[in-house]
Amino acid sequence: MSHSIRTNRNVMTKQADAANDSDAELRGDIIQIKDYNFFYDQNSQVLFNLNMEIPERKVTAFIGPSGCGKSTLLRNLNRMNDLIDGIRHEGDILIDGHSIYDPLLEVISLRKRIGMVFQKSNPFPKTIYENIVYSLRVAGRSKKSELDETVERSLKAAALWDEVKDRLNQSAFGLSGGQMQRLCIARAIANSPEILLMDEPCSALDPIATGKIEELIHELKKDYTIVIVTHNMQQAARVSDRTAFFYLGKLIEYNDTESIFMNPKNPQTEAYVSGRFG
Amino acid sequence: MQKPPLKAVPERFQVAARTLFFDKFMTGLIMIGGISIIVAVFFIFVFIGAKTLPLFRSADIEAKAVFALPDEAFIFLGIDEWREVPYFVSENADIYFVDLEMESKDYENRGTFRLPNNLPDDFVVSHISLNTITDEIRVGSEDGRFTIIDVNYRPTYPADTGRIIEPSLSILPILNIGREGHPILELRYGSRGNRRLAAAIQEVDGRTELHAVTLAQRRGLFAAGELTEDRRFDLTELMRDTPTQILISYEADSILVAYESGEVDYLFLTSTGFSLRQSFTPFEDSVEPGIVSMDFVLGDVSIVVTNSKGEMRVWSVYLDPDTSTRVFGHTKTFPALETPASYFSASRRNKAFLKGSENFASLRFMTTEDIRWEGTLPFNAVKGFITPRYDGMIFLDDSNHLHFWDLDDEHPIAGWTSYFRRIAYEGRQGEIYDWQSSGPVEFERKLSLVPLIIGTMKGTFYAMLVAVPIALLSAIYVSQFLRPSLKRVVKPTMEIMASLPSVVLGFFAALWLSPLISNAVPSVVLGITGLFAGALIIGIGWGRLPNHIRLRIPNGTEFIVVAIPAFVVGVMGWNLGVRIEDWLFLQYDADLEREVGSFRLWVVNTLGMDFETRNAFVVGFAMGFAVIPIIFTISEDALSNVPKSFQSGSLALGASRWQTAIRVILPTAAAGIFSALMIGFGRAIGETMIMVMATGNAVVQDFNPFTGMRTLSANIAVELSEAEKDGTLYRTLFLCAMILFLFTFTLNTIAEVLRQWLRKRFRAVE
Ligand SMILES: Nc1ncnc2c1ncn2[C@@H]1O[C@H](COP(=O)(O)OP(=O)(O)OP(=O)(O)O)[C@@H](O)[C@H]1O
Ligand SMILES: [Mg+2]
Repeated sequence: MSHSIRTNRNVMTKQADAANDSDAELRGDIIQIKDYNFFYDQNSQVLFNLNMEIPERKVTAFIGPSGCGKSTLLRNLNRMNDLIDGIRHEGDILIDGHSIYDPLLEVISLRKRIGMVFQKSNPFPKTIYENIVYSLRVAGRSKKSELDETVERSLKAAALWDEVKDRLNQSAFGLSGGQMQRLCIARAIANSPEILLMDEPCSALDPIATGKIEELIHELKKDYTIVIVTHNMQQAARVSDRTAFFYLGKLIEYNDTESIFMNPKNPQTEAYVSGRFG
Repeated sequence: MQKPPLKAVPERFQVAARTLFFDKFMTGLIMIGGISIIVAVFFIFVFIGAKTLPLFRSADIEAKAVFALPDEAFIFLGIDEWREVPYFVSENADIYFVDLEMESKDYENRGTFRLPNNLPDDFVVSHISLNTITDEIRVGSEDGRFTIIDVNYRPTYPADTGRIIEPSLSILPILNIGREGHPILELRYGSRGNRRLAAAIQEVDGRTELHAVTLAQRRGLFAAGELTEDRRFDLTELMRDTPTQILISYEADSILVAYESGEVDYLFLTSTGFSLRQSFTPFEDSVEPGIVSMDFVLGDVSIVVTNSKGEMRVWSVYLDPDTSTRVFGHTKTFPALETPASYFSASRRNKAFLKGSENFASLRFMTTEDIRWEGTLPFNAVKGFITPRYDGMIFLDDSNHLHFWDLDDEHPIAGWTSYFRRIAYEGRQGEIYDWQSSGPVEFERKLSLVPLIIGTMKGTFYAMLVAVPIALLSAIYVSQFLRPSLKRVVKPTMEIMASLPSVVLGFFAALWLSPLISNAVPSVVLGITGLFAGALIIGIGWGRLPNHIRLRIPNGTEFIVVAIPAFVVGVMGWNLGVRIEDWLFLQYDADLEREVGSFRLWVVNTLGMDFETRNAFVVGFAMGFAVIPIIFTISEDALSNVPKSFQSGSLALGASRWQTAIRVILPTAAAGIFSALMIGFGRAIGETMIMVMATGNAVVQDFNPFTGMRTLSANIAVELSEAEKDGTLYRTLFLCAMILFLFTFTLNTIAEVLRQWLRKRFRAVE
């Protein structure tokens, strides 16, 4: 039996309820990270004593120099790091007030709830159509109409529909890099998760494709809580509502994006966002 | 336009001579290596091919020499095995020898000489014939007497000269057969050990009569005594028509009588006398049923009969399973000769025979119904004779010349028919495939490759049946589920298993596994089923366990939870098997004289199938050990090489690890897994030691899991020691190798094409 975190509140109905809920509740903190320490193995601590809250239906950007642990934290949010041998953590991460490390929680259900887009696009060696419906298929849903509807909705949401609607049954490998990345986004939102984690989604793309994806993030913000890791300061400034600056595994500063870029409190932050930082 | 002058390259941009040299050197070395492998494989192919080609050639003949003979009316001829001193028999049984001195000899040519035949003056020859296999000249007289003159040769090595072939005659005492004073028309004789039998057609006052006599050697006190008549049989009463031909095999226990009507009676000698065992008409459906000639080919089991139209058929003795007696059956039909044959000569090395008349001669091979050679001679032959070593033919022409021909026919039995067609063999009912490569010279060799090919497929099938599921499942498990730290132990262990010498596995399988498994088939089956059922039940139960218990077990160590109960259920299955055997498969054991639970006896008695201790079931397990590590290692690599991003991509979408493995990883690794299967398959097809040791090596043609098999590779290993260099068997073994080679070659080619296709279809992002 699978235990989802919100047993009484189903993901699919969330959007319908949204209009009735008060804004305040909606914009509450969906992810809470408490005194979180993370070790890849006994001696190498990567994350140090993190405390932060990530608000619902906003875009939160993680910035920081390479190797500071942004990806590690992101991958811990949906427990993708579980596959690595010898990891250890202290503290807790709560989603909607429930620990993701709760023994009663099924990891699969957590991951269904939290979509993820990787730095390098990774479509499966299947058709475009099958890539999109993968999350439905593994959930055992195979009604043709539902699948078709999902494909169209996801591709439209990912602004890819017009480009691929005539070649849904061709291999996903025939797409361009930017298209592939949008396909991965479409795939991630096909099962309507609540949270979307994006690890440098635009790092391999040209400015036009990047622009499209940024627009997309804007669109998706209406329905999803988005956490994005980026090395591109302009991008962070453009797309995010809040920005967290990490340095050597520690959270240095976390605030509204505007404050971080215009008025950083910490000199390290200032140095980093102004590009004076190695 | 002028090119700008080449500027000297600054030192730091120059490539070191050593770097360049090594680069060139290694490139060359690798190229040489690659090309030599291709060339080597090609040459092996050509070499094996060259070894097998002679098998498919027909006989070559070549006129060697012509000799004029003394002015005598010769009617028979024969020759020694060294082809030096042929003999000629005249109408009144005078026997002449001619020293041909074929190869230059430094002794004096003996020319033509005669050996005394010891026949008294009153012995007027009325019948004379020659047994071309034994060199026995059968002589019958006008007054009902007969004798057998046996021509023998012995090589001698006198000082200062080369080898001299010394002919001699051993002559039976002159004995009576049938009615005294009446001429003998036909005479046949057979002897084996102490048994000697002669039969004759005799003309008595215008009628024909049939008589037989057995001879006995009275033992003297100090030496073997004279041959004397033992029992006389007047077979005239058994005659149903006028007899024209008679035959006696060297078994000397029966007489074949051919009548004018074309019927043949098979008379069998028992302690009470002759009785009719079988009547048959070889040319029953022909317009000319009358038999013109009837002769044995080597082994005296098959007769070649011809009629006046030149039609030729072979009838052979086989064991009739209904009556369990040996009777004749029609086995072969040869193309008709253009004219009725006048002479017959059987080869002493194989089942070939020479049949001809006038200037036409035909050398045929009985087993395969093959015409080895046929043609027109530049003379009219009265008689023809195959030299004892089957390396020449001699002919006596109508103007008293001896024609000497070389015969080059190393592999008369070999050929497409022999290897791939059903054949009616001597002594066996029906047309079958069989392999029985050696035996005494008169034994009919059976060289069908079909049962070997079937055996190979059977062995491979059972090996793959065991190996593929286990290897693939463990590869998936190890690559996708097992903790990486444990994987680092498991993988090398499996690789060590792959390097286990197959002779060790074969030894184990033959001595330990086969008795164990064969005596406990239900237990083995139930034990394995139990193992899987146990794992399945635990798996289902596991999914239903409350999370707080289930999630205690760290990822990748679940197998402990599954393995122990699965093992317990497996053991329960094994014990249940013993119960079931006692309960369902009760069989009466004749040795113990009571009912015992025995699946083995049940298979034999109730299913009517064979059961051997070293059977395909055992081979499946033993071969599994040989094949599993290969398939496992290669497919595990293929699975592990699937980019991690696919795995994380799938997991992040909420797929379980099993779903990830089956839906994403497996299809992506399909090409690699396919290679693994093909390599495993290749190993299974070619595997020899296990097959030799763990199977009975009996030739089979079915897929019964409880019998063994003989595979092509095992056949090569087993028969190699018997194969004389460049002999038929030797080359046939090369043919086996060739077939194996072609098997794997075709398979690998198809596999490679498929693999490329799979690769393209499930290609990962580059
Ligand atoms: N699987 C792993 N095992 C051990 N150490 C790891 C592993 N993955 C990352 N690390 C280490 O953890 C630290 C943080 O890595 P992480 O990938 O989170 O950095 P990042 O902030 O995402 O950097 P980048 O901006 O370059 O992607 C690095 O020092 C890295 O070497
Ligand atoms: Mg990173």
